[in-house]
Amino acid sequence: MSEFTDNAIAEPTQELSDAQLASIFEADALVYLDQLYGTALRMTRNPTDAEDLVQDTYAKAFAAFRSYKQGTNLRAWLFRILRNTFINNYRRAQRQPMSDSAEELSDGQLLNLEQRSAGGVRSAEIEALERLGDEDITAALAAIPEDFRTAVFLADIEGFSYKEIAEIMETPVGTVMSRLSRGRKALRELLADYAKERGLLEDAPVRDGGDRA
Amino acid sequence: MSCGRPHATPCTQVVASLTSYIDGEVGAEEYRLIAIHMSECPPCEREEQMVRRVQALVVRATSQAAAPETLRARIRATIVEYDVNPSQDAPRE
Repeated sequence: MSEFTDNAIAEPTQELSDAQLASIFEADALVYLDQLYGTALRMTRNPTDAEDLVQDTYAKAFAAFRSYKQGTNLRAWLFRILRNTFINNYRRAQRQPMSDSAEELSDGQLLNLEQRSAGGVRSAEIEALERLGDEDITAALAAIPEDFRTAVFLADIEGFSYKEIAEIMETPVGTVMSRLSRGRKALRELLADYAKERGLLEDAPVRDGGDRA
Repeated sequence: MSCGRPHATPCTQVVASLTSYIDGEVGAEEYRLIAIHMSECPPCEREEQMVRRVQALVVRATSQAAAPETLRARIRATIVEYDVNPSQDAPRE
């Protein structure tokens, strides 16, 4: 799985000329442009902002490239710069109505889910979620706190390990696990709500042998 | 959550490790214990399926858009500038 291998730079960057450094940076860092842009697009939800964010990220990364620690994960390093740039430049400016303080927000929601889970998962719920459109999934992703959403994207879309996500989000591995767990649970709850709104899932316990689409 | 039968690994422990288990972040022995539990406990197994399904839906709904070529060109131009004109200092953060 090349996803998980470090893209280390073999040459000692301290002794390189600016031109050599630029050439290495171009070869090694630009490979991740599509991935960074995809993540930027999900963060900003706007192609123009996403382009600006990615350009800022590469400018900062290139400026700091001389001090980049060799042998560390270049992809994770770039994602960390992307996220920090987003938080510093964009998130504040956007003044999103949603709460971004994930740890505080979801305790009630979590409790709610734990209670729901106590009855066991109905297979009808799984079937109902499968029938939701992509726009509902996108809406649910947009509705959860940024910390949860980022953890979910980094794990499920970008394939980063917990350790790598911890580096990118500058948080302990235990927090990564908690954000992933709570993020997925929050998504599930929202999706179940959407399924009910669309009449795909009943509020009352569903009898066995319910109709399939 | 429990099917009411006793398990070598309790349901609470399995649920607590579910996220790490699904993401391949548990050790071999814990993985084995949870896998055994899943085969014996339908409620936990359904819980696992639910998490995997939500994961799959996120992947399904997330289009992997390629970066515009103009963006690539702009970034490359910034880097190449240093390549051609190496005396210039890189901007600091």
